[in-house]
Amino acid sequence: MDEKERLLNVLKAVPVDRPPVICPGGMMSACVTEISDQVGGGHHSETKAMVSAARAINERIGFENYGVPYCLTSEVEALGARVNIGNNLIEPRVTRYNDLPLETIMENYAPVDVTTGRMGVVLAAIAELRNNRVPVIGNVSGHISTATSVVDPLEMFKMLRRDPERATRFLTFISDYLIRYALEMVRAGADVISISDPTATGDILGPRNFQKFAVPYYQKIIAALHQEGIPVILHICGNASKIVDALNEVKANAVSFDSIVNMKMAREGIKTGLMGNVSTQLLHTGESSKIVSITRYALHSEVDIVAPACGLSMATSISNLKAMTDYVKEGSYH
Amino acid sequence: MDKETLFREISHALVEFEVEKVAELAQETLRQNISAYETITEGLVTGMKEVGRLYEEEEYFLPEVLMCSDAFNAGLDVVNPHLDKDSLEKPIKMVIGVVEGDTHDIGKNLVRILSGASGFEVYDLGRDVPLDRFIEKAEEVGSDMICMSTLMTTTMDGMKIVINRLKERNLRDKYKVLIGGGPISQTFCDKIGADLYANDASSAVRKAKELMGRA
Repeated sequence: MDEKERLLNVLKAVPVDRPPVICPGGMMSACVTEISDQVGGGHHSETKAMVSAARAINERIGFENYGVPYCLTSEVEALGARVNIGNNLIEPRVTRYNDLPLETIMENYAPVDVTTGRMGVVLAAIAELRNNRVPVIGNVSGHISTATSVVDPLEMFKMLRRDPERATRFLTFISDYLIRYALEMVRAGADVISISDPTATGDILGPRNFQKFAVPYYQKIIAALHQEGIPVILHICGNASKIVDALNEVKANAVSFDSIVNMKMAREGIKTGLMGNVSTQLLHTGESSKIVSITRYALHSEVDIVAPACGLSMATSISNLKAMTDYVKEGSYH
Repeated sequence: MDKETLFREISHALVEFEVEKVAELAQETLRQNISAYETITEGLVTGMKEVGRLYEEEEYFLPEVLMCSDAFNAGLDVVNPHLDKDSLEKPIKMVIGVVEGDTHDIGKNLVRILSGASGFEVYDLGRDVPLDRFIEKAEEVGSDMICMSTLMTTTMDGMKIVINRLKERNLRDKYKVLIGGGPISQTFCDKIGADLYANDASSAVRKAKELMGRA
């Protein structure tokens, strides 16, 4: 069974020989310093470097996918936030929000072409990576994280309570834009779309706001992708144990959790596929024997896909990551 | 409306994040010649304490706390000009920021808001703060505490560097060092020799006050 068949089957809930071990990309990027040094940088903004990094992650670390891009900032930058692209040690980050009124943003950026700029680079990389053996994952930021990266997050959070209708209009605008981008990724050849919404954690929003301002938008983007026959992974950061029921409603093919979530408990609650959740702190600083034991715990918790729990530190070593991928591949499942 | 009822109403309106109502009630206290100090401590701060409790109990989350903090500030704006500064206890001064290399500042902002609402004098250095800046600012303003936050494992060690530099300059005992953020733990706090770790904004403020003997 090749890597593509295994991941796509798991996402369709078809039995496989063993769980795949992946690192989808986006905020969960395995383009650590050792990899970016090897490709010589440029992996956030040039197609060739982005493609080389994706291949190196698959070949050298052993994650069973290609996943691009390696950040959540290209979709934000195109909506007028200023981004520092980072370097081989530090990931890209938003340095200035778009401080125009939301209505002006919605008007000015409505026609944004999602196939140009750094988003265009990502699409070209997907097209180049497309193949029959290794699944290609296109990564897109969730609408809450995108909205709170384009404009000041505190203003956005307050608006959820003070002026929910205005917040809804803006979130709808953002969500429609992300759907357009995700569908372009599919057209370019993505086999799977992974949505990461770190800011939509239950810790920040709370269950009621999550239900109202997160769930319906996930349903919409996931339905649009399912219509194209594309499976979707949804990653939520932080403690998600209070929003497990809500996550069942979004109908993702797999949901991915942070290391704080106990996967045995998540397994009982989550009706779809479950992905996770090897602590990224451990992967960064831990010993390989400990990494193996936590990976084993994830497998015993019956996760469908083994993956890092959250965003990896750029300083994470290839050998630590390989301790995790090797264990999944070499363990006995029969 | 008598004074106690008025304070209760202010506190209640604040918890319900009724920004305009808090401002109106604060105006009413001025009309009744109630001291601004009492309105702040008995009405506004009492309300924010309740908000802190609701937050710790996970009844309120960030959006609600931010709204309450707006209501608090609306009330404060009304009565502050009438405040007899001599009636105030000397505030605890705190320098706060997200350590260099990290721009995640939601948690730090929440601590700033809640500590400001509890009477701390807060100097916010923002995010991605060069490590020496924490010490320079603390020295400049005569701070009592240095508070550092990070969400990322890569930047955690910056906290240790700040503590080491304080030691090198013989300033370690001059400041209480408070740390927090996603990957931070009590173990890490003990390891680097910080004074206090808190796992959420509300308990950070509570513990900071305890540490300063102001509980």
